[in-house]
Amino acid sequence: MRSNLFVLEVNKTHPEAKELCTLLLRIGTLLMTSGSNTERIRKTIQRISTSFDYKAELVINHRSVLLSLENENGDEVYTSLKRTGQHGVNFRILSGISRMSWTVIEEHWTVDQINEELDRLQALPHFPRIAVLLFVSLAGASFCRVAGGQIPDMLFAFAATFIGLFVRQESIKHAFNTYLCVFFAAFAATLVAGLGYKLGIADPGNHGFVTSVLFLIPGVPLINSFSDLIDGNIQTGIIRGINSLIYSFAIALGLLASMFVYQM
Amino acid sequence: MENLIFISAFIQQANHILLGILPAAVIDFLPVAEKFIWCGFAAVGFAVLFNVPSRTLVFIGILGGLGGFTKFLLIRFGVSDVLAPFCGSAVIGLLSIPFAHYKHAPPPVFYIPALIPMIPGVFAYRMMLGMIKLVGNTQPSDYEQVLQSTINNGLKVLFIILGLSVGAVIPMLVTRRDSVKDLKASSFFDRRDD
Repeated sequence: MRSNLFVLEVNKTHPEAKELCTLLLRIGTLLMTSGSNTERIRKTIQRISTSFDYKAELVINHRSVLLSLENENGDEVYTSLKRTGQHGVNFRILSGISRMSWTVIEEHWTVDQINEELDRLQALPHFPRIAVLLFVSLAGASFCRVAGGQIPDMLFAFAATFIGLFVRQESIKHAFNTYLCVFFAAFAATLVAGLGYKLGIADPGNHGFVTSVLFLIPGVPLINSFSDLIDGNIQTGIIRGINSLIYSFAIALGLLASMFVYQM
Repeated sequence: MENLIFISAFIQQANHILLGILPAAVIDFLPVAEKFIWCGFAAVGFAVLFNVPSRTLVFIGILGGLGGFTKFLLIRFGVSDVLAPFCGSAVIGLLSIPFAHYKHAPPPVFYIPALIPMIPGVFAYRMMLGMIKLVGNTQPSDYEQVLQSTINNGLKVLFIILGLSVGAVIPMLVTRRDSVKDLKASSFFDRRDD
């Protein structure tokens, strides 16, 4: 009973620990949604907390982060939990937070300074939409070439990727389920790629059909899944693995739907 | 005199071999060299999709190209479908560290987009087609053959991706450092304990 009262009192009278905890949870959830692996999140948070003379213990999940801060003497503990936002890979935030975590130690930043820097990082612009569409379509054509495609196959892979990515962006905007967005995109892309076969321009032996959906492969969850497993973060590793498996099934479903349409 | 004839014949022979083989070898390896460009473009495309800092784009392209080039060169020399991507990703992982120091961005920003051109899309596609066939087909005549190729393709996909992610973190596994910031050639073999 007495210890419970003590903890309550500590929680109330130490705004600095609370402030720091909120900040660190913000960093942790940001890293998680931007596509960092689990070990990097743990190291970054512990690096920053040691610069404030706090000891941090973490539970990191795919959709939430639980953080417990302990002061130097070990007589004060503050614990808090934060749910992550929508996952969306953004390496600009990952890179920015990584650079910042070293500056925090070297220049002894305050909590407010770090919050300002995080605001700045979150406001950083993305690549223009048309640039993303063109570059990813070029990547689709490149995939087709690597798999042995000729110029007509590459053109169809380019167009298919362009339309597929456009459909994906639009369906994300309309707040469909993430896996459903991938299904729509895969369906649209393979409809375009299959048109090449139907018109007799592209050669089915050159894998134009499959390379047109390769832009949808969940590369970041897949690689992070295995790197988590190697690091011993088995739980998050399995979750990421299952997540990328569902994405792959959504892609397969899209492919199947167009194969059904074209009676292939 | 006999010696001279022998030597001139030898030189002629050598010349003939060089002329015969060199251009053929170059022509033979042009498709492999071409993969450098296309894997590079694919890596840059994914880098843009992942919104990397603009200063790293060119280096991701180079890394992706080098990884793809290594993979296809090894496959050309008869290395297996699983080992070749592993070696390619090891090249990417090793080079991502000097690039990370030079451009001030963590190594995953470089190696994840660069690895993606090596993800075995065609094997995964064949595995999936095989699975669909297995669902629809209960004929005992070709069931076993479809099952065999499906399992073969599926295991290839699994092990290639496992190899890719292990290859990329080889530098960290070998040096046992917490961060690439501490990675210097001089202190390569002593474990940092603090």
